[in-house]
Amino acid sequence: MPTWIFYLLTLAVFGAIYGTLALGLNIQWGYTGILDFMYIAFVAVGGYVTSLLMLPPTQAAFGETYVLGLNWPFIPALVVGGLASALLAFIVGLLSLNRLRSDYFAIVTVAVGLVLYTIAGNDTPLVNGWDGISGIPQPFQSTLNLDANSYGFFFLGLCLVILIIVYIFSERLYRSPFGRALRSVREDEMVAEGLGKNVFALRLKAFVIGAFIAGIGGSMLVIYVDAFNPSAWTTGETFFLWAALLLGGSANNRGAMLGALIVPVLFAEITRFLPTFGSPQVVDAFRYIAIGILLILTVRFRPQGIIAEKRFRVRKSKLQRLESALASASTGVQITDTDLADNAGILPDGNAPLQSEEGKTL
Amino acid sequence: MALLHTLLLSFGFGLITASILAIAAVGLSLQFGITNYINFAYGDLLTFGIYTAFVVNQHLGLNIWIGLVIAVIATAILAWLINLFILRPFTDRGTSPIIMLVVTLGVSLILQNVILAIFSEQFQSYSINTGTPLTLGPFLFTPLQLGIIGLAIVTMLGIHALLHYTRLGKAMRAVSDSPELARISGINTRLVVNAAWLLAGGLAGLSGVVLAFNVASFTPTVGFGFLFVIFAAVILGGIGSPYGAIVGALVVGLATEMSAAFISSEYKDAIALVILIIALLIRPQGIFASRGRA
Repeated sequence: MPTWIFYLLTLAVFGAIYGTLALGLNIQWGYTGILDFMYIAFVAVGGYVTSLLMLPPTQAAFGETYVLGLNWPFIPALVVGGLASALLAFIVGLLSLNRLRSDYFAIVTVAVGLVLYTIAGNDTPLVNGWDGISGIPQPFQSTLNLDANSYGFFFLGLCLVILIIVYIFSERLYRSPFGRALRSVREDEMVAEGLGKNVFALRLKAFVIGAFIAGIGGSMLVIYVDAFNPSAWTTGETFFLWAALLLGGSANNRGAMLGALIVPVLFAEITRFLPTFGSPQVVDAFRYIAIGILLILTVRFRPQGIIAEKRFRVRKSKLQRLESALASASTGVQITDTDLADNAGILPDGNAPLQSEEGKTL
Repeated sequence: MALLHTLLLSFGFGLITASILAIAAVGLSLQFGITNYINFAYGDLLTFGIYTAFVVNQHLGLNIWIGLVIAVIATAILAWLINLFILRPFTDRGTSPIIMLVVTLGVSLILQNVILAIFSEQFQSYSINTGTPLTLGPFLFTPLQLGIIGLAIVTMLGIHALLHYTRLGKAMRAVSDSPELARISGINTRLVVNAAWLLAGGLAGLSGVVLAFNVASFTPTVGFGFLFVIFAAVILGGIGSPYGAIVGALVVGLATEMSAAFISSEYKDAIALVILIIALLIRPQGIFASRGRA
């Protein structure tokens, strides 16, 4: 296989995986407005758990120490990996989502992420510390027995299948009454609460769903790179994904995937072709500087991102139905509970805006 | 007895960490009180101060105390400029605190990595005379460490005097309480905001340099790492309350250093983070605050 095909293949795999990760973050931030700065920790937990389930038991001879090592097949390991991230999100969310304003919640998430990072690095028997884990079995390879090149394409296919499933799920979620309720929480939690929505439960669910997707994407990432240690999931990595989502377009799934192609993939790769002007550290530093500038410019000049969130047009008939329902409500005629539940989420959309005067969807 | 001895020694270290933390926490708290958004770039202002003093000390060959003074001034000006050119265009448009947080995150990435690109990731240190350690009762301090504690006390007294006995300080407290009420009472809030950034920047520069004194060698990520320890102190003391921040700094400083007597010192910062998480969950308005904002 020519090198450039192999190179494109690598880019495509990373694109698919980061696309999946961006979709998960989009459900948390884009749909619901949760400031999650420990997203990369969910990626890591999923990756670790899936890998540790698939790996053989620790062998002292190799000098690696980790827990589990159960030789599990890929699919159940992947699901449990996703569930582990979801469980972590459930615990963090249960303890803090209803108590804190979102900026303080953001600080808590960074803190939890850093604590997990410290433990993973220093508590060597857990996940082999700073050295990290490697040698994870390739999914389905034992039954397929493909050569390295064909397996590369097979793995890309696997990542794309996961990306497409997550994309379809996210799109359906966005359009569902549940998705509308999430957006109502994002726009104005008081209004959502006033319409009888359980804001805390909605936030918690979105947080957990996003973390589950992070765990799935993280599993694919760790299996693909085949070597994973704490330096791969510093807080800075979370900011990469944030920059991707904000640039691509929050609350728009295609925007999220586009951002994932631009920021982590293209950005990381383009710097490779620049003339070498310093050590790899310096190149890395310039990458982060560019991300910082991009983040600020995006929020300043195109807060909705490259692909803005779709605005819903409420059909006239539906609007009339809504108006008459409201009118009859005010005249004391009873309206059914389902009407309210159905319309509750629409209200912010019905006014079309989801945006303040200056067009910020923020 | 051995444990008691270790505990007393680490209590001494805790006092030094608390002093550094108090300077940093008061600055962050003042800035937060006035601007009402969380500043993720504050840690990198410390780093900027550290490297400014480094340049003065190692490249220009001047005394480190001159480096400290220049670092304080330079960081104050940098903080003021960051507000003027990057943050104010957003706040003037009424950008929400959440988005301001994302913007400061961008500033943090830029600042930290510009410093990294210039000075590389390798460990640096000042040429400084720590002096011979002195035994004070059960404690063991170098003159430099006593200097850090003294500097912190002087700074706290200075901040107290500023907030209570000057027009500017009173205006700052008024804006912190309610920007609208302050404005209609004729306070020039823009001036107060500028002053707050200068002051917060100066305190960041000062705490950065004394932090570098204490840890002896540093890299460009030292400030961002310390940021969450500062957050722990600020939040424990009640966000936006400078006096609470001092108490918070004392608790966090002592807790992190004394924990090293029981568990690996690798977990020192993690202890601060756990305090931060618990403090936010139990009393989001701050342990020592009477009324809250969180």
